[in-house]
Parts: sequence; C-alpha cells; structure tokens
Amino acid sequence: MAIEYGLNEEQEMLKTMARDFLANECPSTHVRELMEDETGFDPELWKKMAEVGWLGLVFPEEYGGSGMNFRDLTILMEEMGRAVLPGPFVSTLLQVGMPVLAYGTEEQKNEILPKIASGEVIFTLALTEASASYDAAAVQVKATADKDVYILNGTKLFVPDAHIADYMLVVARTGDGAKAEDGITIFIVDGKSPGISSTVLKTIANDKLCEVVFNGVKVPRENILGELDRGWSEVKKIVERAAVGKCCEMAGCIQQALDMTVEYAKERKQYDRPIGSFQVIQHYCADMATDVDGTTLSAYQAAWMLSEGLPCTKEVAVAKAWAGEACQRVMALAHQIHGAIGVTIDHDLQYYTRRAKAAEVTFGDARFYREIVAQELGM
Amino acid sequence: MAAAEQEKLEALRQEVRAWLKKNLPEGWGSPAYVPPERGSKEAQELGKDWQKRLYEAGYTGFGIPTEYGGIERSRAEVAVIREEMQRTGTPPPAGSLGPMIVIPTLLRYGNEEQKKRFIPKILNGEESWCECFSEPDAGSDLANIQKTGVRDGDEWVVNGQSVWTSGSKFADWGVAPVKTDPNAPRHRNLSYFVFDCKSPGFEVRPLKQMTGDAEFSETFFDNVRIPHANMIGEEGQGWYVAMATLEAERGGGIQFVAPSRRIEATTLGGVDNYVELAKNTKRRGGIVWDDPLFRQRIAQFAIENEAIKHGRERMRVKAMKRQLTGHEQSIGSVFSREKNQRQANMVAEIMGANIQFMRGDPRSLDDGSWTYTFLRTRGNTIETGTTEVNRGIIAERLLGLPRNRM
Repeated sequence: MAIEYGLNEEQEMLKTMARDFLANECPSTHVRELMEDETGFDPELWKKMAEVGWLGLVFPEEYGGSGMNFRDLTILMEEMGRAVLPGPFVSTLLQVGMPVLAYGTEEQKNEILPKIASGEVIFTLALTEASASYDAAAVQVKATADKDVYILNGTKLFVPDAHIADYMLVVARTGDGAKAEDGITIFIVDGKSPGISSTVLKTIANDKLCEVVFNGVKVPRENILGELDRGWSEVKKIVERAAVGKCCEMAGCIQQALDMTVEYAKERKQYDRPIGSFQVIQHYCADMATDVDGTTLSAYQAAWMLSEGLPCTKEVAVAKAWAGEACQRVMALAHQIHGAIGVTIDHDLQYYTRRAKAAEVTFGDARFYREIVAQELGM
Repeated sequence: MAAAEQEKLEALRQEVRAWLKKNLPEGWGSPAYVPPERGSKEAQELGKDWQKRLYEAGYTGFGIPTEYGGIERSRAEVAVIREEMQRTGTPPPAGSLGPMIVIPTLLRYGNEEQKKRFIPKILNGEESWCECFSEPDAGSDLANIQKTGVRDGDEWVVNGQSVWTSGSKFADWGVAPVKTDPNAPRHRNLSYFVFDCKSPGFEVRPLKQMTGDAEFSETFFDNVRIPHANMIGEEGQGWYVAMATLEAERGGGIQFVAPSRRIEATTLGGVDNYVELAKNTKRRGGIVWDDPLFRQRIAQFAIENEAIKHGRERMRVKAMKRQLTGHEQSIGSVFSREKNQRQANMVAEIMGANIQFMRGDPRSLDDGSWTYTFLRTRGNTIETGTTEVNRGIIAERLLGLPRNRM
C-alpha cells in the first residue's frame, strides 16, 4: 500500500464542492461577522453543512453518515482552513464524533452519531486544564464513583465551543495508578447538567475557547466512553486524529495566505513596477511556497496513514511539529509582503495570523512533537 | 575617575532618586498603579506633563544646543540619569516623535528662526508632533509622494492624503514632504513643511490595527494653507530633509528622547521580564528556565541586546558631539526590529497555549501584554521603512554596491 498524492474523482468532487460551498456560505465578510459575534456560531450555516453531508462525512450510512474515510475528511479540513471557517466542526466531528464511532458501544453510537450527522447537537472535548499540556499527568479533574453515578469536580481550560455544546466528552481521573496514564476515564456529559459553568475566554483567534468548571456534576455510569481507568490510550488517539485534522486545516490556511500574498505582490506597484518583480519578494514567496508544500505533504502522509489504520505516531508528530512552525514563518512573510495594510483590523490577513497562532499550540506545539519524534528515533 | 567627580555623580544619583520619588505618579511601580489606556487622551496628558517635569528638572534635552533650549550634561551624568530612570521605569513621554524625529531634522535643515520657535516647545512637552509621510501609493517608494503644494503668495496650498500617520490623534504640529514641482524629476520635486494641525482642511481618521489599537491614522489635506516660512530646507530639497527624518526614526531616534524604561524595552525587549516568565512557567512538568534550549536562546537575546545597546549609545554620543548620524541607523533598525519579532516568537513558545489569552481576559499574564507584543511586532519590520528598504540602504549607501532600488 502506498500513499496517493493526487485525489481520486470522488475526492476532487468533494474539494470543489467544499470550496464553492464555503465561498458562497462563509465568505470572509461572514467570517468577520462570526468573529465579532458573541457566540461565534451560525446555526443556519451548521444546518447547511449537515445537509451537504459534512457533519456525518466519516460515519457509516447506518448512523446517518456518508461513509467516507478520514483522508476524505481532511480534504474538507484543508478547505475550511482556506476559508478560516469558524465554528464547532473540529470539536464536534473530530474530537467527539470519530471517537464515539471508534470506541462507543452500539447504543452510544446509535444515540449520538445520527444526531451529530443531522446537525442536531454540538459536541466538544474537555481535555486540557490550566497546564495546557497534552500529557496524561495534566489530567487533574476528578470523577468519583458514587453508587450508579460518577461525580465530576475540577476545571478544564481551552475547551472549544463549550458555551454552545449540548454534550461534551470529559477526560477525568478516576483512579491513581502507578503511572499518570493509569486511572483516566472518558465520560459523555450532558452540557446542561447542573454544576457545569462555561466562560468564553478572550483569545487571539477569537475562537470561543472556554473555561469549564465542574462542580459536583453527576454523570451516569453508563456514560463512560471506552473502558474505565483505561481511557488514556484512546485520548492519545483522539488528540492524534484531531492534530492531523488541524494540520490539514493549517495547510489550507497558509496556502490561502500564500495565494493572497502572491496576488498582492502582482498587483501592488512601487517604483513603477509590481513588487513581485523584486527578487527579494520573489524569494520570500518561494520560501513561503516551500513551507506550504512541506506542511501539506507531511499532513497528507499522516492523514493517509491514519485513514489506513497504519501505526503513525512519528508521522503525526512530524506533521504537527512542521505545520506549527511553518505556519508562523509563512504568516510572517505574508505580513512582510503585504506591508502596513496587512496589519490593519480591516484586512483579512489578520484572521489567518490569529488562526495560525492558535493552531500552532492546539493539540500540542512543535516542542511537544519534536520530543515524540526523538523518542520514535530511539533517543 | 577623580574622587571629586565620583562624588558629584553620586550626588546627582541621589538627587534623581529623590526627584523620582517625588514626581512619579502616585502608586507607580506597585500593582495599585493603573496606567491610563494606551493611546487615550489621559495617556497623552500624563506623557506631556512628564516630559515637562523632566525638562524642568534638567533630565532631558541633552545633545541639543542651549540656544534652542538644550541642556548641557556630561556623558557620565547622562548615564546616571538614564540608569535611575530605567531602574524605576517612568511614564512614556508623550509625543516622543518630536524629540525623536523633528528635533534631528530641524537641527540639520531648519533655519535659526525655526529652531528657536519649535525645539524648546518640543523639549518642554508643550507641543507634540505627527509625521505625514506614507501615502497609499508611496510606501516603500516614498519618493512617489503625490500630495501637491501650490504657491499662493506667502503660503502654499496643500492637497492630498497620507496614511499610517504616526502620532496624529493628539498632535499639535505635523511634518510633511509635499510635491511642490510636478515637473521636476524624482527626489527634486518635493519640499518639506511643518504645519499646524489646527489648520482648516486638515482631517485625521484613526486606523485600527489588528492589536485593537489605533496608533496611526489616515490624514487628509483639503486646501490646507501652510506659510512659506514653514518650509524646512530649500524648495525642492524635501526628499533629503525627509531622509534626515527617516534616518533619525530608523535609529529609534533615541538620542534626544527622554530616558525611560519603556523606550529601551521597545528594542531591548526587557530580557529580565522573560527571564522571570521562564522561571515562572511550567511546561511538561518542568520549569522552562531549566530547559537548556530556552536558556541558550534567552542568553543569546541578552548577547544581541548588548550590540543594540551600543549602537544606540553610539548615536547618543554622536549627538552630544554634534555629529550627524547617518545610514548606519539602518543596521540597527534591521537587526533590532527582526530581533523584536524573534523575541516575541520565543516568548510565545515559552507561554505555549497561554499565548492565546488577549488583553481583558482575567487569566492573561500582564493583561495580555505578551500576546499584544506578538501581534504588534508583526509591524516592526514594516514601519519606518521595511527591512528590505533598509537592507537596500545598507548595501547601496554604506557599502557602495550598485543601485537597484529595493
């Protein structure tokens, strides 16, 4: 089995459809409205995304899905990155829908997946805490067994879209094992349960990350996703999958920033000629293209391997480490070439800068993943 | 150093300390002190008042001839004053563009009358200034200025638009190169004016940046009448006068700006601050400061800051010796501005996910100032001439390489 670099007919169609859909339904003027909106969520757009089959793209048909695979989904992610689409797509589908499909009981799948596919419910994953780390030791929120329920106490931070989430997956500590990885359990929690309070954080990407406080929140025992105390290996896979989705979104984000920059370099004239005719600007654009290409290829590799079910810890780490830093380099040059106009609040470039910065630290930054690469190299 | 001189310097140090204690705003340096909002009228008033106090105490205005209000101090004295101001930090002096760019320009190209009229009121904080340079089609290509000036008796009637006008919100006076001879070749068609911002026909529209601040404006000239007496330098010499302004600005114009920790911090980046940050930040269970990779990088910034510090000191010394500073300012500009960005990037790495917190979120560190700095420094390599333009200046003017415009 070997990686396909090109897209098959179905994937090409998905890509074209996604680009057209986003251009029509979420142009940059609408992105701006959503960024400035308090909830940052457009229910109409969400409904339309359900209608075109995106919210259940990777679910089998029996759960109301379209039966496509993870690699197909990442094609969509790339287009969403190009459009800097706001909203709970990653949180609902990548962080929750796919894990439920992978680790849920038949009952859980039947209950949750069709509702996600139809756009009825928004989900999110409450994983990170004040340390903002993706290590097992960072999971401190406690779930204590009490007869037929578990009681959650503690605070999660940087939880996307919790303010509008109907349900969330909460990663909590249920036991104290020898290792930090032991005693971690994933719970499916009703977002409206008494004792939950969410506050939207003021963040660089205005992406509605929240602080979620759990104060004696009762969760029925049957709401455990996967196995009691052994949830960490699944959390790791959830983060891996979300990280690769994010990498594809980042690839789209910087591809669009590159396209905007090249366009600007062709149009903007100084010294009676387009600035794109100056060698220094050409070299900057070439450097950007090199970074975009590397980001895209490493993201595709990881996406394909995940999709095929191949072990790819190293490839995921390579992709996210690369994407995080490449995005910063690309955006810095995009700003440099756009000059002063690019740092104004009225220019679209700022959305790409903000999104790229947030994406760099979401699901682990380059330092986090370089360490994994080093371990995979046997160091 | 002679003991008597040492004693004199120590006395000055004590004097400055006592003065600071008396003059700094109440609560300064403690968490109780809430500074006025950046770019607000209150901040402007506080800064003007601070400049006035500094000047009256004899703590600014060095290197400027006394006939224009300058204050004579030895290099050692200036160093003592600067050290003390940096130790406590001070309110940012308002309208630093006046000392930064207008004084050097006037000293080089202004006539006696102009120097006597304008320099003292910059030094005592009475008048602040804005800089109408860039236009929509004259950014890196500044010589392409399209703003026109037509002579009408003793006045020039000016029409056109500037963009990215610094300091314009509360400015009393402005500087502007204007095309006064549409038939003359590039670089010989401009004349340089100072003008009263209260002139009828001059309009300021603030431009908001992605940081949320509006440090710059679009400014419009609709038949603004400027007296001929306000022309700085000769008619048609405006490009060269403008270059003097930019040279000063590219060097951070530091030679005449009152000492304050903030001014140093803009380029020296407050290594102490991020040493603290590194000591107080945990990543993957360890303290960032213990991470050898971060230690190396932070130390490297401290090393680079030494070079920048000496570049600035060289300018101050030149100013005190009444020597012109020249294109070497572009070296400091390229290096320190790119360093600012690298430094902001490293701080973001130290902070990890916490870099996402913006000003106004109670969980942010220093009210989001690091995140603000990350976003703000994106413009550092663009403003006052892009680093590409400055590299061109270094290559052509300093190194004598063949001309290639940009």
